[in-house]
Amino acid sequence: MAREVELLARVAEGDRRAFEELYNLYHRRMARFLMRLTRRYELAEEIINDTFWVVWRKAGEFRGDSQPSTWILGIAYRKARSAFRSASRQAEQNLTIESEPLTSETPAGDEELRDWLGQALAQLPVEQRLAVELCYELGHSCEEIATIMNCPVNTVKTRLFHARAKLQRLLPQLATPHAAAGAQAREGRAS
Amino acid sequence: MNTHSVSAHDETWLLLPWLANGRLAGPQRAQAEEHVRGCAACAQELLAQRHLCTLLTEPERVTYAPGPSLRKLLERIDGQAPPQARAPMPAPAARRRLAAAWRPPGLAWAATFLLTAALGILTGTAYHWSQPVYATYTTGHAAGAVLHVAFDRSLPFGEVEELLRSVGARVVEGPGTTGIFGIVPAGDTAPRTEGGASPQMRALAARLHGDARVRWIEPLPAAATVEDAQGPSARNH
Repeated sequence: MAREVELLARVAEGDRRAFEELYNLYHRRMARFLMRLTRRYELAEEIINDTFWVVWRKAGEFRGDSQPSTWILGIAYRKARSAFRSASRQAEQNLTIESEPLTSETPAGDEELRDWLGQALAQLPVEQRLAVELCYELGHSCEEIATIMNCPVNTVKTRLFHARAKLQRLLPQLATPHAAAGAQAREGRAS
Repeated sequence: MNTHSVSAHDETWLLLPWLANGRLAGPQRAQAEEHVRGCAACAQELLAQRHLCTLLTEPERVTYAPGPSLRKLLERIDGQAPPQARAPMPAPAARRRLAAAWRPPGLAWAATFLLTAALGILTGTAYHWSQPVYATYTTGHAAGAVLHVAFDRSLPFGEVEELLRSVGARVVEGPGTTGIFGIVPAGDTAPRTEGGASPQMRALAARLHGDARVRWIEPLPAAATVEDAQGPSARNH
């Protein structure tokens, strides 16, 4: 974290090398979760670059009140939300329909389950999807997510509560983590 | 389940994602862990939550190289101004001096004077801008340098060209939205900017006066000529 604070301070002074280092540091993790959300690299790249465009111009406004990652992801969240606005409306409409499970099959392994999870996440409203990614993938605390999403802590908990409920309806296999391992073991014995 | 344990269950249920990702700390963590030990539903959900964490944090099959994206962003940055540098906070003594300078009769008086002067200039400019600006077709050229004419509106453009050719004129302006052309005698290489109408211009005006297809001809400036002595001949339909 101290390194990121230092990099941001140098970026505020127009240090191009520090900016490149910070960009490379965040590109991988941002690309990963944005790709899962957008499923389009061009859109994910656009959100990352719009975020770092703001970082380049506004690094001087970072006062250290929060972690650099919270500040940067807060910018990314606002950029992603506006990019997904129309998709979000669609997802909210989906919520009004009782969701059917994506599949009743047992996944052959975590790879397959991950693919299904990607499809299930795509059906969540954008606020819930981002909360899921920030919590499970990027490992942020509830308070950090509230800062990133600029909302009360209880709103974060509620978003995740609804996201979890919907994911469970769409993908009941998530609730039985040993099913995949069992399927793999069965495959192993058969071969 | 009593009211207290229902409340503890609901609270823990909401906090399970952070118990799973390891970011729940302090008393909240201790309370949640204690509840999970005695609650089969929460224990099962915690397993599912940990599985979700594992699925979402496993190494990606595809990784994205940042290089090309960064190059695009740097190109964008190169086309723009440098970032806003963080303004250093002034030292306390410097801050006090700065504050003192703003007390009368220091910079505050100077600022007041500058503001008053700026307001005066602004008012003058605004008044000037508020006045209607009039322009005539001769604005920009000395009177008589260009002859402004309007043809019958039903006249095809090809016929206008033919008419102008036949009277020895060429177009140097227009036609504007009102259909007015600025013309000069075909021999003139450039419109005159001073000295009034030339004899060629007056001859051209006279030729046009004789054509019924010409709806309006701008009167030429008065000059000590025989024609003028006979009175204005401009036709205004």
